[in-house]
Formats: sequence, structure tokens, C-alpha cells
Amino acid sequence: MQTSSSPQLCAVVPVDCVFNSSNQLPYPATFSLGLSAGNRKLKLSRLQAGGFWESIRSGLIKNNSTQVIEPSSSSQEDEEPLPQEFVLVENTLPDGTIEQIIFSSGAEVDVYAVQALCDKVGWPRRPLSKLAAALRNSYMVATLHSIKKSAGEELTEPNNEKKLIGMARATSDHAFNATIWDVLVDPSYQGQGLGKALIEKLIRALLQRDIGNISLFADSKVVEFYRNLGFEPDPEGIKGMFWYPRF
Amino acid sequence: MAFLRSIHGGGSLPSKSQTLSPPKISNNIQKPPIRHRHRRRPTPPIFISTNLSDVNPIHLRDLCATCNHSVHRFPNILPDGRSEHVDVDKLRLALRHSSVVVSVFSRPELVASPPESAAGVDWYRRMIPLTPVTGQLVGFGRAVSDSSLTASIYDVMVIPTLQRRGIGRMILQRIIRLLTNKGIYDIAALCSDQEMNFFKACGFGDDILESTTMMYTRSGNDMVVSAGRKLLMVPPLRKP
Repeated sequence: MQTSSSPQLCAVVPVDCVFNSSNQLPYPATFSLGLSAGNRKLKLSRLQAGGFWESIRSGLIKNNSTQVIEPSSSSQEDEEPLPQEFVLVENTLPDGTIEQIIFSSGAEVDVYAVQALCDKVGWPRRPLSKLAAALRNSYMVATLHSIKKSAGEELTEPNNEKKLIGMARATSDHAFNATIWDVLVDPSYQGQGLGKALIEKLIRALLQRDIGNISLFADSKVVEFYRNLGFEPDPEGIKGMFWYPRF
Repeated sequence: MAFLRSIHGGGSLPSKSQTLSPPKISNNIQKPPIRHRHRRRPTPPIFISTNLSDVNPIHLRDLCATCNHSVHRFPNILPDGRSEHVDVDKLRLALRHSSVVVSVFSRPELVASPPESAAGVDWYRRMIPLTPVTGQLVGFGRAVSDSSLTASIYDVMVIPTLQRRGIGRMILQRIIRLLTNKGIYDIAALCSDQEMNFFKACGFGDDILESTTMMYTRSGNDMVVSAGRKLLMVPPLRKP
């Protein structure tokens, strides 16, 4: 994976990753990422274009354009789920193009793509800054991208479109409780078991960290979907209550 | 209620005991709970802290044991009725990653004997300022959030001898205030039957959007993770 010589550095992805992160407008042009959490101390973070003071503050990031740091270094505390990326499904369409659906977690997510996906499924709009902050501070964000390539081309060609088609995120206290929010799959890709795969991966990652209380708040239409995945509504009388602001 | 009058009979006059109420405008917003004027027992002098460093995980674990509160949703109940002890390191981890941590301290001598009956508390003891170090942990609450959109409240507990004095409500109000200061208004709390009345009295209610609360409870035989008394099945790796 190569980093450009301009002040903007790409996020670190595992070495088995085949794709470059595409040149989308990174929303966090006005935010400094990664270091505030304190956990990803060794990961390179996106710097804002011309972020001179940011680079000074970041310290060791300033000129390390040639250094690639493994995400699983031994000195780092193993608290967050390791980033993963793999091909979930590969289909060949009738016109010869091959479509791959890539599952990834722990990678940077394009906020604009998420907002567009929320619009597609018909969710009310939320402020972009809040959405970006929420994604950053979630314990785990799992995404599904679809990559189409025409027969004969390489997948790493930059003109292949990588489209966000599904997302799910979970917040957690890293020890006991986790809540799954914002599960969405592009309507044209629904019904294929992609949502189920997203949730199962999330649960798997959470259980592997011994996080036992996994909860979520489901709309009435999707209660059956989650029931099939092993979720029980109001188990043993446990209810979720919400705060009512009193004006 | 104009239509009701016609049902009661066209010509008959409404009797004096029947009062005609004004037409009801139905709204979808649930009214806040009516506050009754109880005589609540007085709140003892306490020190509330929102500082994470004021909480000692070992004291917190002991508080959990005293309140019989479990961090697992489905706790293992030991034969004598208590829940199993919590791992202190996990507790420390959970505290570090909670967005809001509220702890309440009180004077140790007031915890053992209820405040109004304690007549003989020495005056010099009262002179010692109440701080997290000199006081004893009697109440706790925390919230986990993504810092901008949503938050969940967990583990609100008060020591049994000091319950029903408004401490729990104070903890909850402090948590809510800290969350709303950050702009988070979507605040959820998972609660069991016993805790439901407490949350209702503090202004929590069913979801406006009528969502269903669900928890992962699928058990299995192999590839399981234990969470309290549940053995949760780890979903197998497979392609859709």
C-alpha cells in the first residue's frame, strides 16, 4: 500500500488488502482523526490538507510517508476489533461483469456514502458532522461494498466503482454491553442474506471479546429478521426505555 | 364528546352528575408522569462526582455485590441468592470506555445507620470534608455513547440502606445533563421489571417510534461464550 507524498496520508489497511481507498472527498477535512481516541496511537490518521498544526501535534506522523505500521503490533493494547476485509460474495452478471461484495470492518467509512445510503432506504437525515463523529466513536462499524469489474480487467483499476451497499454499527463499553444501531442495506441488494451476514459478523466480533449483553432496538417490520438471527424481544421482562425531553 | 350525547338518547337531558368534558384533542406525545407529593425521606449529605478517576473499581465491585446488581443481563444466581462477582479488570475496562461515569459518595458513618436516627455522630467527624477519598461509594451510574447520536445508560445503583431518598434520581439527572450538553438526546436504558418504575418516575418511557427491544440470547452447544448464566452461540463462519 503506498502513501502519497502530499500532506494527505491514507489510512492503514491490513497488508492482505487488495484495494486502494478511492479518492473520495474525505469528509473529515475539518476533523483530526484517530488520535483523540488514544487507542490507535500507532495508526496513521488522515491529516487535513494543509493541516500544519495538526501535523505538529501528531508528532511522529509528520514525515513518515514510507512507514507502514501493522495494526496488530504487540505494544498496542488489544482493545478494539482488528480491521478485517474480505470478499463475501462473488457473482457473475449476465453481461459478463463480475461483481464482488466486500465485507470490511474497522476501515474508514465515507460519511457522504453513508448519508446517501440512508437516503436510499428512506431514513430521516441527520447532521453530517454528528454522523461522522458517531461512526468514529462506535466500537465497530461493518460495511459492505460492491465492486464491479468488466471481464478482463483487474480489480485494482481505479475506474472500478466501489459502492457502499450496506452498513451496521455497534457501540460498546468494550467489556459487558453492546448495542447495535443503524443497520441498513441498499434496497436493490436486499433479500440476499447480506444483512444477516453483517449482523452475524458483528455478533461474532463482540462475542469474541466476551461482550455478552448485545441489544438492539428494532422497528416492528424487522423484528422477525432479528428473531431469526437469535435475538429475543423483551427477554425475561427486560425493556428498553427512552428519555423524554420535557420542555 | 358531541357524539356521546346522541348515544345516550336524543331527547333525554343529561343528568346533573354527568359533566360534559371538552372535546379531547388526541396527541401522540405521552404526558409526563404525574408527580405525587410524597414525603420523601431526606437526602443525606452526599458528594457527586463525574470524574472517572474518583471511582475505585474494587469499591464498585463491592457496591454491585451489596446492591445485588449484576453487570450481566442474565446473571448467575448463586444458591444463597446473590449474583456472582464481577471481574475487576473488566470493570475497569468498562469504566474507561464509558462516556459518562457518575459516582456518589457519602459519609461512612451515615451509611451504616440511617441519617435521621443517628444522633451521636461526633462533631469532629462532621468537620472532615466529604470527598471521594474520605467518603464511601454509595451510588453509581454510567452511560455508553457514540458521543454524538445515541447513548445507553447502564448500572445505576444505590446502596440499599440509602435508597428511596432521591439519590438515584440525582444520578440519572446528572447523566442526562452531561449527555444533553454534548447534544445527545437519544438516550436509552435497558431495565428489568424492578427498575422500570424507577426509570418511569425519572422521565423515561416507551420508545416514541415503538421499537422493540431485543437481546441476543441464542444458545448453542459448541462455540459458545458465557455471559452470566447464558451460553451464547457464536455465529458460524459461512457465506450467504
